[in-house]
Amino acid sequence: MRSRLLPPEFSGRLHDARTATSIGRWLGLAFAVCFLTGLISHVLQHPPGWLDGDLPSRPTWGYRLTQGLHVASGIAAVPLLPAKLWTVYPRLFSWPAVRSVRHALERLSVAVLVAAAVLEVATGLMNTAQWYPWPFPFVPVHYALAWLVAGSVLLHIAVKAPEIRAHWSRRSPGTLALPEEDGPDRRSLLAAVTAAVGAVTVTTVGQSFTPLKGFTLLAPRHPDHGPNGLPVNRTAAAAGVGLIASDRYRLTVVGPRACALTLDELRGLPQYEAELPIACVEGWSKSAHWTGVRVVDLLDLAGAPRHARVRVVSLQTRGDYRISEMGHEYARDPLTLLALRLNGEELTPDHGYPVRLIAPNRPGVLQTKWVGRLEVLS
Amino acid sequence: MRTGVTRWLTGAAGLVLAGVGAYRLLGVDDLTGVLIWLGGAVVLHDVLIAPLVLLIGSVLVRGGVRGPVRGALLVGGALTAVALPVLLRPGKPANPSVLPLDYPRNWLVTLVAVAVVSALVPVVRRIGRSRRR
Repeated sequence: MRSRLLPPEFSGRLHDARTATSIGRWLGLAFAVCFLTGLISHVLQHPPGWLDGDLPSRPTWGYRLTQGLHVASGIAAVPLLPAKLWTVYPRLFSWPAVRSVRHALERLSVAVLVAAAVLEVATGLMNTAQWYPWPFPFVPVHYALAWLVAGSVLLHIAVKAPEIRAHWSRRSPGTLALPEEDGPDRRSLLAAVTAAVGAVTVTTVGQSFTPLKGFTLLAPRHPDHGPNGLPVNRTAAAAGVGLIASDRYRLTVVGPRACALTLDELRGLPQYEAELPIACVEGWSKSAHWTGVRVVDLLDLAGAPRHARVRVVSLQTRGDYRISEMGHEYARDPLTLLALRLNGEELTPDHGYPVRLIAPNRPGVLQTKWVGRLEVLS
Repeated sequence: MRTGVTRWLTGAAGLVLAGVGAYRLLGVDDLTGVLIWLGGAVVLHDVLIAPLVLLIGSVLVRGGVRGPVRGALLVGGALTAVALPVLLRPGKPANPSVLPLDYPRNWLVTLVAVAVVSALVPVVRRIGRSRRR
């Protein structure tokens, strides 16, 4: 039974396999970068046991680059995904709706791909603005959907391989079989899609790629906004610490030779400087100049064994990430500091006054603020 | 023959990865909520956004300037989509360094820039063509 409206007719001439292939491969590349950088972020935040001690603390800019790419490739998918879906939209109404078991499975896999991809890109974008209107927890769902999208994309590529190959280049047989007069219009459409990717990238990427910060019009963060010239995620008020009195502060180091240090004693230890970025999982990042005590010096003071893991405990009373742990690669890196100063000034409360952790190649949420205790483990 | 094997391996790898995703999804809190939002995403796109885009395209993208007009709509639409969260997020941000910019103003600035560039493209092209003659 066919009504007069269904299936609809499409007069547009670019709903073809060559256009779909051209946009699809860029979207595939964006998804690949997004998935791999997302995996890196996941491993750094939730290290599997077998990898735990061996995560590298270098390069110092590693996480800044991968997480910047993660959010930039996700934002690039915002124009690419709808453009790709536009090229194949008429196939939604192909008739008969189901021709065979194979056809039914193929349509089902495409439905999964579309649903997961749209929701994955949308939730990721909204997370950068810290907006969570959905009823489910963001992190586990975003992570699970990432695998679902990656898998359905691979399956889709395998199913469509002959068509992709036939339309890969301008000289491919499938492309040559398409009407030649559509060529200029197709190139104009592809140029517009490229321009859209460029526009959304330029207006947002400055939140991590600071040379472009002047063009940062639509990003949820700006490198110049924040105390000490650095953006903040959790404030002292939100963490329930307020301003910690310097004369009452003690850093407790738990280890074979346990000790407690006052703020003046910490200032009396050799001070080191490090140029390290805060790189947030939400995509923004900025490099800063830190001054403080090397964690490795404190570990030696406490008589920690060489391969010991270290637990860093915050004085904060509210919020996740009160405790972070690091393997010996991080703990013994000479750039890993318990910082007392930031960009030439004393830390502000929102940046963790009086003492915070700063380590290279590490997500911002693990750079524990308001540090009260270092524990040498095993 | 080799390409056939690669194709099957790619498909199998896809099934494994998607299986991992589905398995992880079964373990999250509020699976029903996730499924509703997944279905909602498809419905929102297939029933609302895509027909709307096709309608706008069939009305506005025609004639000799179809390229620049389509380009302007596409780039402006993409910028708007990316701006939606920062424009519409309800409630006060967690601290002054979150969403620190004047987003409605910035969004309009980008749209004006898109309109100006798109209007200039045909002019520049015509000048280029007449010079070549």
